[in-house]
Amino acid sequence: MNKQAKRIQKPQLIHWRLYVVVAFVSLLFITLVVRAAYIQIIEPDKLRYESDMRTLRTTSREVQRGLISDRNGEMLAVSVPVRAVWVDPKRVYARDGFKDMRRWQALADVLHEPLTKILSRVKRHPKKRFAYLKRQVTPAVADYIKLLNLPGVYLKSESRRYYPAGEITSQLIGITNIDGIGIEGIEKTYDTWLTGTPSKQKVRKSRDGLVVERLDMVQEGENSNDLVLSIDQRIQQLAYRELKKATEINLATSGSIVVLDIRTGEVLAMANTPSYNPNSTDKLQAFRMRNRALTDTFEPGSVIKPFVVAAALEAGTIQDNQLIDTSPGWMRLGGRRVRDGRNYGDLSLTDILVHSSNVGISKVALSMPIEQLLGTYAALGLGTYSGIDLIGESTGVVRDSHRWSDFERATLSFGYGLTITALQLARMYATLGSKGILYPTSIVKLKKKPEGVQVLSADVANKVMRMLQGVTKAEGTAVRAHIEGYPVAGKTGTSRKAVAGGYGDDYVASFAGVAPVNNPRLAIAVMINEPKGDHYYGGDIAGPPFAKVMSGSLQMLNVEPVTSKDKVKIATLARTNQ
Amino acid sequence: MDKSRLDLTRIILNDLWLHRWVLLLATLVMLNAVAVVYTSYMSRSYTNQWDQMLQERDRLDIEWRNLLLEEQSQSEHSKITNIATKDLNMKRPLPNEEVVVRVK
Repeated sequence: MNKQAKRIQKPQLIHWRLYVVVAFVSLLFITLVVRAAYIQIIEPDKLRYESDMRTLRTTSREVQRGLISDRNGEMLAVSVPVRAVWVDPKRVYARDGFKDMRRWQALADVLHEPLTKILSRVKRHPKKRFAYLKRQVTPAVADYIKLLNLPGVYLKSESRRYYPAGEITSQLIGITNIDGIGIEGIEKTYDTWLTGTPSKQKVRKSRDGLVVERLDMVQEGENSNDLVLSIDQRIQQLAYRELKKATEINLATSGSIVVLDIRTGEVLAMANTPSYNPNSTDKLQAFRMRNRALTDTFEPGSVIKPFVVAAALEAGTIQDNQLIDTSPGWMRLGGRRVRDGRNYGDLSLTDILVHSSNVGISKVALSMPIEQLLGTYAALGLGTYSGIDLIGESTGVVRDSHRWSDFERATLSFGYGLTITALQLARMYATLGSKGILYPTSIVKLKKKPEGVQVLSADVANKVMRMLQGVTKAEGTAVRAHIEGYPVAGKTGTSRKAVAGGYGDDYVASFAGVAPVNNPRLAIAVMINEPKGDHYYGGDIAGPPFAKVMSGSLQMLNVEPVTSKDKVKIATLARTNQ
Repeated sequence: MDKSRLDLTRIILNDLWLHRWVLLLATLVMLNAVAVVYTSYMSRSYTNQWDQMLQERDRLDIEWRNLLLEEQSQSEHSKITNIATKDLNMKRPLPNEEVVVRVK
């Protein structure tokens, strides 16, 4: 106590202490500066690395597959993001994941699968790092699973394709597989166009998981493209419904219908039966998935006759007012017979088509060289692709031979010995309506009218079309294809199906035509395969769906019907939007 | 002791005045530093906002897709035709029953 008191009284400077303190403090500072310099200048990489490890993340943005819509913007295929539930079995074991079985039970319940099945998937390969538990679960279910907080169970985003139109357009649109790759129809043909690639970007995230800095792109993504089809869903729906009805009533095996826009060659509807539901893909049957309108060929039968007349008129071997003698209702050609239903006597070209006389048309065909007929068929698109560019399209077969017997030439004129698709048939009739111009068919909505090829002279096309008007009138073969208000030019076809060694008992009934004759807008071809009811004539079977679809479609397209003058009203509207 | 000669405040002020440019620079440096902190803070919060908006866009896109599906299934043509014909007793006029109205 005393000593201390003295020191306070008499303060003295003790130099060495000062030096020690100064030296110590300086050393401290120097150390700090050196350390700072070391971290900042000499070796900054390690800490940067450590920081990046904690903050840098790669985020990826999923791109949904493009939408497919009809020409009026109605959706035909929409992708919706869903999640896949997957498990890392090794991690489940490492984290002692089976401790709380109630959670696994809840998972099984929400996935609608037995618990044992789910557990077996985890336990089967305990060393594996990946196994799907369930694919394509809805976001709501995914959120629930996330809250279950099961060790080793994760979610992964993927997408699911929905087809709102269902079976109406199923063969045309096709489907994608579970990984979102198109495997049928338009989905396959336009797969690259519809598919996008996800973009990946490096970002810096703050402690609470918010993105605070965007760094470089790891992978430049590509947006998917949408596809607008030429299909008019209203017409498509009507066509499918009527075709389905006709197929069922006639107990037919299958059927196809194609509606073409005469002025552009666009496909407005293309439907087939039997169909399938593209939204539930577990029970797919291949025969239901085929787009029969362009994959399946058939011998057309009488429906081809107008084009024989067109070829003859084009060649000038028959005049349009010429009468052809068909009595006695049959004729002999090289030991084979060509027969009519009855003896029609002298027939004009129009009557040959109206009564569908085989003898008459054979005489027309024999009047010109075979090259002329084959040339016309080829020019009208037989034996070639239609330009629609969809997978599975067949070209049909038109035999090319150096030697043709008279009988073969005759059969070619009433539609045997060659095969065509329903699409080709519709396209041929569209040519009659478009003044002889053949347009490439398109399933994609066109921005401008495509370049067509003049394959028949406008005069011949018009003449043949007017001749065909009689077919749906009282004395024709297809009264049931008659439409009040829209004059129809069309032709029936009934052909026996070939079997090994000849022709069997099954038929193909068809009807194709254009309307309205005064201002042709639509060409429709209907094909019903193997009807087994009381009727088998094309007019009875394929006529009614043709008439229903044609009149309905023309009304939907606001085509003015041919009516008496007193039904036309002139209205003046005060336009407010100008 | 002469008080005026040892006026500390004055000495300090004098001294500061002598080094006024240095002082000014020092202040600017400080302001600059604060500005750097501030702008980087702002840029981070804007980036964050941007990211949130992108997420919002994705969310809305998903909702839109679901609504689209709902709209499609509700406005299905055969469904509407059924309602019109069965519930509302409507019928489509035949082409020859139509009255054409030409707008001049």
